[in-house]
Formats: sequence, structure tokens, C-alpha cells
Amino acid sequence: MFIGTEKLTHTYMPGTPFANEALKEVTFDLSQGEFALIIGPSGSGKSTLIQHLNGLLKPSSGKVYFEGNTVGSNKAELFNLRKRVGLVFQMPEEHFFSETVYDEIAFAPRNLGFEESKVQVRVTEALEEVGLETRTLLNRHPFQLSSGQKRLVALASVLSLKPEVLILDEPTAGLDSSGRRNLYSLLTKLNRSKRLTVLICTHHLDEAAALADTVIVLQHGRLILKGAAKEIFSRREQLYQLGLGLPAVTEIMHGLSEGGMKVRTDIFDLEGARQEINKLKGRHVK
Amino acid sequence: MSRSITLGQYFPGQSLVHQLNPRMKLISLLFVLALLFSLRSYSGLVALFFIALFLIAKTRVPFRYFLRGLRPVLFIAIFALVIYFFFTSGGIVLLRVGFITVESEGVREGIFIILRLVTLVLFSLLLTLTTTPLSLTYGLSYFLKPLRYIGLPTDEVAMIMAIALRFIPTLMEESQRLMRAQVSRGADFESGSIFRRAKSLVPLIVPLFVSAFRRADELALAMEARGYRIGAIRTRMHEDTFFPRDWVVLAVALVMLAASLTLGL
Ligand SMILES: Nc1ncnc2c1ncn2[C@@H]1O[C@H](COP(=O)(O)OP(=O)(O)OP(=O)(O)O)[C@@H](O)[C@H]1O
Ligand SMILES: [Mg+2]
Repeated sequence: MFIGTEKLTHTYMPGTPFANEALKEVTFDLSQGEFALIIGPSGSGKSTLIQHLNGLLKPSSGKVYFEGNTVGSNKAELFNLRKRVGLVFQMPEEHFFSETVYDEIAFAPRNLGFEESKVQVRVTEALEEVGLETRTLLNRHPFQLSSGQKRLVALASVLSLKPEVLILDEPTAGLDSSGRRNLYSLLTKLNRSKRLTVLICTHHLDEAAALADTVIVLQHGRLILKGAAKEIFSRREQLYQLGLGLPAVTEIMHGLSEGGMKVRTDIFDLEGARQEINKLKGRHVK
Repeated sequence: MSRSITLGQYFPGQSLVHQLNPRMKLISLLFVLALLFSLRSYSGLVALFFIALFLIAKTRVPFRYFLRGLRPVLFIAIFALVIYFFFTSGGIVLLRVGFITVESEGVREGIFIILRLVTLVLFSLLLTLTTTPLSLTYGLSYFLKPLRYIGLPTDEVAMIMAIALRFIPTLMEESQRLMRAQVSRGADFESGSIFRRAKSLVPLIVPLFVSAFRRADELALAMEARGYRIGAIRTRMHEDTFFPRDWVVLAVALVMLAASLTLGL
């Protein structure tokens, strides 16, 4: 009961001919320190759901809770929620507006009302957390960075809030494979070392699947599956019907298994697959 | 897709009024407006008012959308009513409070004026509620075509208007997204002095401009890649056609106007 929703329904543009029920009675919860994934076809309501967890949208019905308390709609409560639940939007670098990397990351702590000396500490810490070199970058213009660096700066600009929950919408969109791996290892580190609760919406299962404790599947605004990653990814048929598929590695293991080799199919990362296949080689080599 | 056409007042539907040719709707509206101002008799005006109501019922657009459209003229209507009631003399005295009198002629004229105003707005709403902003633009640009002969690039102006219409909702959506992104980082757009609030808009405007310019660049490239050239003759994918029903509507409007003018109704 750390953070979650109860029968959360959201209708966009209610009372007009364009009314669109994007979420239908979604109920789920995460415990502190959990690493969770929300997957679902495009338009299934993922982005809508996570904006609710940050108090950016108002439930049409149902509720959002944090630390066991229902999140109300008054300003102080929402401010408190946003302070503790950090949200990284899709393509966050498109939202940059500052002249320097420093100002960009300082935006949140300044909004929290900190003195400049404390803001500076937060900025440095956040940059270190995402593994960027502090001194050379701080006075650069955000637009001068590479796309991987931009993404990290965007992440730092949320981490400078020191949130307890970190929610990311398609964090790897537009990154190359090393950028993706780097980002995910960073998120794992934050999750393990700081007990940061992490919730990620994504279409790209390849990097994310192996890291997740929990997977939530949305379709047409309904929560249709929720469970341990192993359990969810064992429902291959169902995921395919939803147009979601499996991580590529898992798909290969299924292929091998169907080809008659004795391998496990509940493997989601390259390393696991390599070990499993090596075992196979061991068996064949006399 | 639905989100990109919520600009303006368009209410989607399949009614006859929706399907009329936009150019024809524009001209007919023009005739009806002329008719409204030429009408002098109560019976003619009431008839026209009922025609408007009949068409409104036909569109199947909920009546509250028309009421909402009428709201802005409410103030003018009340103001006109007061003026006419108290300052027009003639007929029998209906009410006398101190030295202010309300006489029947004033009431008659006041109500006439308001009925005319309401009918006028209703007919305009009939057009804007049943026609997409884009068809309206193309309809209007058709009538601007003659201006090409005095050197105005009317096709290009129409293109600019169409693109602007297309992108206004996109930009609005984008600014909303930006606002949320910053609110989630503790920004506050609502409280504080005007000066503070204006300052809090800077983080919105910068990325909005950046993306607008990027979009403009991309769009220009995409259009050129598909053969768009300034000054070239363009055809349209959806040529609007005239059906008999369009001519009938136009004829009815024209006949009513002519009748009113010649018979002095
Ligand atoms: N601002 C909005 N106004 C109206 N409808 C919206 C808005 N945002 C989203 N929707 C609609 O709500 C539904 C869910 O959208 P949402 O963005 O939450 O999906 P998503 O799962 O994040 O999709 P994607 O994977 O493509 O990002 C969609 O049908 C979408 O068209
Ligand atoms: Mg989304």
C-alpha cells in the first residue's frame, strides 16, 4: 500500500462528443523499493495512469493513494506528492528551457524553496547520481549535449527533487543501445542502493524485462494482468494477442525449446541466456 | 485524431446540415443575414426564427451548444432591451414608475431587436457547429479567389490558414504537456503576483518556440518533398461537389430574401 490507485477511472474531455474513457477502474499498488513495469499497446492508458500518480490529472472517479493516504486535490497535498514522486516524461529533453545544465537541474530544488547553497548541493548530487561529469557540463547549454547526455540531464533534473518514487514514461525512446543499457543500469542502481521505487512505462521489453519485479499490463484502459515478471512473461500467447510480444532473448529461448533443446524459457536477459546456452553446449560436448 | 478537430465549435454529425457544401452554407448564411436585416414584420422574423429552430433540431447537435454560443450576446441583448423599453415612446403606457414609463411600442421594438439578434447568432452557429474549421477555411478561400487578380496569393494564404488551424491544437496540447512536466517538478503557475506568474511562463515559451520552429522546418521539408511549390496550381483530394440539395437550400434562402425585399415583409 505504498503507492497505487483504487478503481481509478479517467475520462478525457467529459461531456463532449470527444469524451474518451482512457482508464477504467484501474486498481493496483506497489510497495516501497519495488521495480515495476507498465506495458500495454499504444493508447492503452499508460501515460494517463502515471500522470495520475503525480497528481497531474484529476480522477473522474476512484482514487490515487500514496503511503496509505488518499491524495486529495488541494495544493499542499499535491505539492507534497510531487515532491516525493518524481516523474520523467517521454522525451523529457524536449522540455528543456534553461540556458545552462545547472539551471535546468536547479529548477526543481529552487521550486522547493531551497537556498542557493543547498540548490547547488542538490544539483551536484543529482549529476553524480546519473554519472555525468560535473565540472565540464554545468555551464554548457543543454542543447549542446548528445542525446544520451540530454536524457541523463533530464533524469537528474527530476532526481534533484530527491523523490522516493521515480516514474518514467518510455525512458529509452530515441536512445541507442548503449544509451539504453546505461540508463537501465543506472535505474537498477538507484533502485537497489537507495530503495527508490521505480515504475516504468515502456514498449521496449528487451532491457527492462530482466530488471522488473512486477509487470502490469494495460489494454484499452483496463488493467488486465499484474504479477511477477516471470509469471507475466510466461503468458506468451496472451501477450502476443495483445500485440506486445516477449523480450527478444526470451523469444530465442522459446525457439530453442521448440526446436527440441532442453532450455528454460523464463529467461529475460542476455547473461542468463548465455549461461543457459553454455550449459547446453556442455551437454553436447563430450 | 479526434483531438485535432476540437478547435472552434465543430460538433461532428451526419445530418443534412452537416453534409451541405460549405461554400453553399456560407453564401446561404450571407443571404439569411441580409434577410434578417431587411425584414420588418414580426411574422416574418418569427417564421425565420422557427426555421432556425427547425434546422437546429435537424442537426442533432445538443441544444446546449447553441445556448453556450448565445451566452456572449446575452449582455448586449439585455442592454438593448432596457434601452428600448425605457426610451422608446408610443403606444399605450404599460408601466409607470416615477417619471420612467414603459410603453407598448418600446416593448414591441425591443423584443423585435432581440429576436433578430438571437436568430442571427443561431444561424451563424448553425454554420460553425456543423462545419469543420478546415472546410470553412477552404470555403472562405474560394470566395477570396478573385483577389488573386490583384496580386494576392490567395491559395498560399488559404494554406497558411489551414496549417495554422491544424497546428493550434497541437501547440495547445504541447503547452499543456510542458506545463505538466514543470508542475511535476514543483512549478506553480497559479499563485503569486502577476509578475511572478508571467515569469513562470518563460519555461513554457522557450521550448514551445523551439518545437514550433522545428515543426515548421520539418513540415516545410515534407511539403516540398511532396511537390509543394509556391504559385503552382493545386488540386484537392476532396473536391467539394454540389448536390441538388445544396442548390435547393441556396434557392430557398434567395427566394426568401427576394420576397422580403420586394414585398416589404
Ligand atoms: N490530452 C488528451 N486529451 C484527450 N485524449 C487523450 C489525451 N491524452 C491521451 N488521450 C487518449 O487517451 C487514451 C490513452 O492515452 P495514453 O497516452 O495514456 O496511452 P499510452 O498507453 O501512453 O500510449 P503510448 O504507448 O502511445 O504512449 C488514448 O486513446 C488517447 O488518445
Ligand atoms: Mg504514452
